[in-house]
Amino acid sequence: MAEETRTITESTNLRERLATLEETQRATLNILEDFDEEKAKLQRLQQATMNLLEDFDDERRNFQRVQKATLNLLEDMSEERAKLNDTQLALMNILEDVEVERVKAEQARSLLEAVNRELEAFSYSVSHDLRAPLRAISGFAQAVVEDYAPRLDDEGRRFLGLIQDNAHRMGQLIDDLLTFSRLGRQQLMETQIDLGTLAQGVFDELIAQSPGRQIQLVVRSVPPALGDKAMVRQVLMNLLSNAIKFTRPRHEAVIEFGYVVRRDQGAYYVKDDGVGFDMQYVNKLFGVFQRLHSVTEFEGTGVGLAIVYRIITRHGGRVWAEGEVDKGATFYFTLPEG
Amino acid sequence: MSDEKVDIVIVEDDPSDAELIARVFRKHNMVNKIVLLKDGAEALDFFFGSNANDQPKVVLLDLKLPKVNGIEVLQRLKSDERTKNVPVVVLTSSAENQDIKDAYKYGVNSYVTKPIRFEEFANAVSELRMYWLLLNKPFEGQTPVPTARRS
Amino acid sequence: MMTDRHVLNEETVGSKVEIVIVEDNPNDAELILRVFRKHNMANQVILLRDGAEALDFFFPPDGPAPGATLKIILLDLKLPKVDGIEILRRIKANERTRSIPVVVLTSSTEERDLNDAYKLGVNSYVAKPIKFDEFAKAVADLGLYWLVLNKLPAR
Repeated sequence: MAEETRTITESTNLRERLATLEETQRATLNILEDFDEEKAKLQRLQQATMNLLEDFDDERRNFQRVQKATLNLLEDMSEERAKLNDTQLALMNILEDVEVERVKAEQARSLLEAVNRELEAFSYSVSHDLRAPLRAISGFAQAVVEDYAPRLDDEGRRFLGLIQDNAHRMGQLIDDLLTFSRLGRQQLMETQIDLGTLAQGVFDELIAQSPGRQIQLVVRSVPPALGDKAMVRQVLMNLLSNAIKFTRPRHEAVIEFGYVVRRDQGAYYVKDDGVGFDMQYVNKLFGVFQRLHSVTEFEGTGVGLAIVYRIITRHGGRVWAEGEVDKGATFYFTLPEG
Repeated sequence: MSDEKVDIVIVEDDPSDAELIARVFRKHNMVNKIVLLKDGAEALDFFFGSNANDQPKVVLLDLKLPKVNGIEVLQRLKSDERTKNVPVVVLTSSAENQDIKDAYKYGVNSYVTKPIRFEEFANAVSELRMYWLLLNKPFEGQTPVPTARRS
Repeated sequence: MMTDRHVLNEETVGSKVEIVIVEDNPNDAELILRVFRKHNMANQVILLRDGAEALDFFFPPDGPAPGATLKIILLDLKLPKVDGIEILRRIKANERTRSIPVVVLTSSTEERDLNDAYKLGVNSYVAKPIKFDEFAKAVADLGLYWLVLNKLPAR
C-alpha cells in the first residue's frame, strides 16, 4: 500500500509538477509573446528614431543653409556699412564746405548791412544838414520881401524871387537824388499789385494838386503784377506826373494807362497826348539829370525817369519810350507776373 | 526878473531857426514877450535859476541842444511842481521814434517835427502859434513861488 | 449821418480808430462830427456819450483794448455817470493810455476844472466857443493840429 500511496503521491507530485511545468510553459509562452510584442515595439521605436534622426539631419542641413545665408547677409551688411561710412564722411565734408560758405556769406551780408546802415545814416545827414540852410535861405529871402517891400524895386523883388526859386529847386534835387540812391540799396518787399487801382489812386492825388486842369484818365484792365508796392507806386507817380506836366499846353488832355502784348511780350504803359519828344533823343530820357526840355518850359530835376528806370530794372523788367514831337509820348514797362 | 508876462519861451540852438520862429510869433502883434534861449543850460536857468520867471503860455523846445539836451529839460520841467503845468511842445528836426517815445514818456504836451521846406515850416509855426496862444487855455493856478525870487 | 452808436463791434475796435469823442450833448457831438467829416478828418471816429461808456471803452473788462492807432481823445468834462476829470485821471494813470493826447473840449469856464485838468497832465484845454461858427473853426483847428501836425510814437 505504501507503494500505492507513494505512486499516487508520486503521480500527484508528477501531476503537480506537470501542471507547474505547463504553467511555466504557458508563462514562458506568454513571456515570449510579450517579448515579441516588446521586440516589435522596440523595432517600431527604432524605426521612429531613425526617421527622427533623418528629419533631424534634414533640419540640420537646413540650419546650415540658413547659417550660411546669414553669414552672407552679414558680409553684405558689412560692405553696406562701410559704404555708408564713406558716404557719411563725404557728407560731413560737404557740410563743412557749406558751413564755410555760409559763414562767408554771413560775413558778406553783415558787411553789406553795415555799409547800408552807414549809407543810410549818411543820406539822413545829407538830407537834413544839406537842407537846413536852404530853409534859412528861403526864410530870410521871404523876410526881406516882407519887411523891406517898400524899399525894394522890381529888380530887387525879382532877385529875391530867384533866390527862393533856386532854394526850392535845390531842395527838390536833394530829395530826388536821395530817393534815387536809396533805391539801389533798399530791399524789395514783394506782393501782388493791382496796378489799375494803384494808377487811379496816384492820379487822383496828383490831380488834386493841379486844380483847373481838364484831364481825362482812361484806365484799362491790366493783369496783376508782382513787385514792391511802394516802389511801383513811385514809378506810376513819376510817369503820371510827367504825363500831367507835359500835357499842360493841351486844353483837354487824355492820359491812358493800360497793358499791351506785342510779340509775346506784355507791358504796361502810360500814354499821353502832350508835347511828346523827338525820338532821336530817346536814349537820353532815362539818364540822371537828363532833360529834353528847359526848366523854363517845364520844371523838373531830370531824375524822375532815372528813378523809374532803376526801380523797373531792380524788378527784372524793362522800360522804354516812344514819342513824337507834339503828338504825345508813351512809356512802357514790364514787371513780373502777379 | 521881468514884469511882463512871457507868452512864449523858445529853446532853440540854431540861430536861423530861432529867428524864423520868432518872426512868425511877432508878426501878429499880439505877443507880449518872446524869450529866446539857445541851449539846455539857459533853459534850466530861466525856469529854475535864481531869477526864475513867470510861467509862459507855452514852451517850444528843440531836442538837440548843447550843454543839456531837450529831453532832459523836458523831464525837469514836467517833474517840478513849479513848471509841470506849462504846456511844452517839442519842435525838432528829429523824427526818430525813440525821441518821440521818450518825449511822451516824460509828459510832453505835443511833438512836432520841423518841416524841411521853409513854406511848410512857416505854416507849421503859424499853426503852433494859433493853437497854443489862441486856442489852448493855459493853466491859471498859483504856482509855488521859489524862495529866492525877485518880483 | 455818421453812425453814433457807441456799441463797439469787433470791426470798429479792431480797425484803426483814430479819434475818440466823449461828449454827452448830442448837438455838440453832431457838430464836431460834421466838422471832421467836412475836412476829411473823420477817419475812424468813436463817439461815447457818458463817462461809463468811456471807461468801458478804454478799460474793457474783457475783449480788445483800443488799438494803437488812437491819435486824439476829445473829452468833455460835464459827463453823466462818471465825470470828465475822473476819466482824464484814469487815462493818464494807465501806462497803456497815457501817451494818447487828451484835449479837454468843454463849456466849463471854472478855473478849478482848468487847473485840475492840467495837474492831471491834460495835453490841452480848449473852451467851447459860444458862437456856432467859432465853435466849428475851433474844432477844425483842433483836428488839423492833433491829426496832422502833432506826431505820435509808432506803437
